[in-house]
Amino acid sequence: MRRALLAAVAAALLAPAAALADVQQVLLPGPTPFPTPSPPLQTVGAPPWATLTFKIHASSDQRVHAGVDGQGRVVSVRVLQDLHLTGTGDYLIVVSAPVLDVRAGPGSQSEPGQRRGQILWSGFSSKRRLLAADATLRAGPVRPYLPLRLQARRDGDRYELTLTNTTTTSEVAFQGSGTAKELAALLDRTRRDSLAHRRLRPAYVTIRGLVSQRATKPEIAAPLRVEGELRFPAAPSEASGATLEGRTVRFSFVLGDEQPLTHRIQVSGGGEPRLRLEARPDNVVRGLTPPGGAASWSTAVARRPLAANALLVRLVDTRMELVRSDQFQGFLANPDPLGRDRTVYVYATTAAVASRAAGGSSGGNSGNGVLMALLAVAGSVLAAGAALVAWAHS
Amino acid sequence: MRRLAFLLAGLALLGAGCGGKSSSGATGHLVIAVDVPVTGSPYVAQTIRQGVELATSNLNGGGGVRVGDKSYLLDVKLYDNHLSARTAVEDARRAIGAGAVTIVTDGTGVDATWQLAKRAGVSIAITHDGGTGLVNAETRPNVFRIAPTNHGIAFRYAEYLIPKKLKLGLLSDDSAYGREGAADIGRAFSGNPDSVALKLTLPAGQTDLTPQILRARRSGATALLVWGQPPTIAAVLSASRSIGWQVPVYTPPTGSDPFIRQQLADHPEWVDGLTFAGGRLTAEVGTGPFVNFQSQYESTYGADQVGVKNSQGQAVVQPPEFAMYSYDFIHVLLAAIQHAASVDPGKVTAALNQVTTQGANGDERGFNEHSHEGVVDDDVYFARFHDMTYAPVSDDPLSATLPLITQTRAQ
Repeated sequence: MRRALLAAVAAALLAPAAALADVQQVLLPGPTPFPTPSPPLQTVGAPPWATLTFKIHASSDQRVHAGVDGQGRVVSVRVLQDLHLTGTGDYLIVVSAPVLDVRAGPGSQSEPGQRRGQILWSGFSSKRRLLAADATLRAGPVRPYLPLRLQARRDGDRYELTLTNTTTTSEVAFQGSGTAKELAALLDRTRRDSLAHRRLRPAYVTIRGLVSQRATKPEIAAPLRVEGELRFPAAPSEASGATLEGRTVRFSFVLGDEQPLTHRIQVSGGGEPRLRLEARPDNVVRGLTPPGGAASWSTAVARRPLAANALLVRLVDTRMELVRSDQFQGFLANPDPLGRDRTVYVYATTAAVASRAAGGSSGGNSGNGVLMALLAVAGSVLAAGAALVAWAHS
Repeated sequence: MRRLAFLLAGLALLGAGCGGKSSSGATGHLVIAVDVPVTGSPYVAQTIRQGVELATSNLNGGGGVRVGDKSYLLDVKLYDNHLSARTAVEDARRAIGAGAVTIVTDGTGVDATWQLAKRAGVSIAITHDGGTGLVNAETRPNVFRIAPTNHGIAFRYAEYLIPKKLKLGLLSDDSAYGREGAADIGRAFSGNPDSVALKLTLPAGQTDLTPQILRARRSGATALLVWGQPPTIAAVLSASRSIGWQVPVYTPPTGSDPFIRQQLADHPEWVDGLTFAGGRLTAEVGTGPFVNFQSQYESTYGADQVGVKNSQGQAVVQPPEFAMYSYDFIHVLLAAIQHAASVDPGKVTAALNQVTTQGANGDERGFNEHSHEGVVDDDVYFARFHDMTYAPVSDDPLSATLPLITQTRAQ
């Protein structure tokens, strides 16, 4: 009898332990780390040696102006970064970037310093301070980290612009056995954060049994909202992939978030257009919309069973997309890792002269070539003049 | 034959030891020129020279500057510019001829010396004069400064005084320093003309300024901002207090010069309330770094005695502010030499734009391609005298965060 009692007690004690050992809390993606080192831009050189003390916080608003040539190639990059400091105390901020030149931007309450690959700020903040930098960057090193690639082609009377979301990266993801109810609740929480444009908060999911790596790495892209227009010298006859309004072709779409990563606009007639568009890293909407018109994922799961595996895949993938989107919100670094970041990428056709200059600065020697040609012409004229004088005196 | 060999060997050793930038042997020498007004402004000259010497002796004590497989000891060469631009030019020529890698100066004659130095790739470091126009990273790429700028002080004063709704009498003396300051103050207050009761130029060196002070009083001024040499400030205080006018007086860094307290030692209460602007002596990390520097300075040279006592009979000393600036510049220079991996003056001057070190007050010191100012405008603070010593004011956001630096020593 005593043995039986002991055995029962032991079994009672062991059973929960065994069950507990089978269950684990796994950290979901977000808010960090980012899947790739850049953005924010980094430069080879001395690492930033300073950030902000705990007394100062910073949020960052940026407009990245990418000048593109007739083929859609980025030939110049200029960034306006507004760092809004709050708090009282000293600050010493180093923002890494392949900077050609930096000046104070509109409203700046301090002047930025410049070193090779660095924008510097130093001073004292009394409650609030705006540090606005207007930086010209070298296009070559920056180009790979822009979120959108443009390719413009002309075939006779036909103009074609292809816009591609280039934020795609493959990431390691885990899989395991979760409960549909908890996963639905986590999806709802993630959706609320996404719709509110809030940075993700850390979250854990309960997994029973083994946690393993997914057989194939998912391809993750930041959703990109693109809005813009092509202005033609004359009214085109037709346009697809965009709306034709007189001489202007307007377009608005999202690349990613369960929609294609590439969008093509075709226009017939009108001549050579000038492009201007804005691309913003966006939230995930479609990927987090509950099925069957339900108000929430929890409601959807209560209505009918949904596969927990599929819910976990969706939860992990959408959170990785949001992390990727958050990464592109900070093209230049914010010295406050917890600070809010917003970046708008503006692509616009740049003037031909600016295009040539930027092309030269990013590796070409066209400027030198022109100079050499001018010198050669001037030299020839002088030589001819000298020969004429010599002939006249001979 | 053996004698000749010894003689040659001896000459070779001498050559290696004395050369400006000797390239043979394991140890070379680098010349740091210090061009200061030893006979024109002895306190300023002494404090700058001692800051440089303290830094170089520390570095030499550690074996000097290592560049590649060679060490360099730093030799300080002192020149007296007599507060004369012409002498400063001669000094610069001699310093460059002696192989100087840099010229540390109070600022005298820089308008005339910077081009000479630039041709030789030599940097000039100003550690006292805050004159606007002396330093410009684009047009004078070899001129650097670690000292509060007139421009920064003027704008900080505007930021500090305009909200007080005072009617300011902007007084400046007719020295070069006073004229430059008047221009900066004029610009800083140009957007708020209602804050200014009058602008008045005072004759530098005149001891009785009673007529000018009476005029300022009649103008309705409720405060005086006096930009001038220490004797001018002492004369303004003397004139205003002797007619019973307890008007608040604000000054640039010259207000902290020991001369003023020495002049008014018989009336210490006349100094009370005098407010001056200066570069902060401490960083956010606290007093530790500056106090360490100060104790090292005082153990080497003794405290800079002001020459007056407080009401408790304690001797008042001057914190080594300007010594700190020249001391810091030598450390930035060292970082630049190491960054350039060269002692070539041109390369070292270029590298000064790329380095930062920790200054004696715990703050970062450094320059960049856009700014050759080692003291940013935000680092200008305000201090007010009481009982012959000063303390940061409490009604300015930066100053209110700064601790008090002890300025008395037991007899």
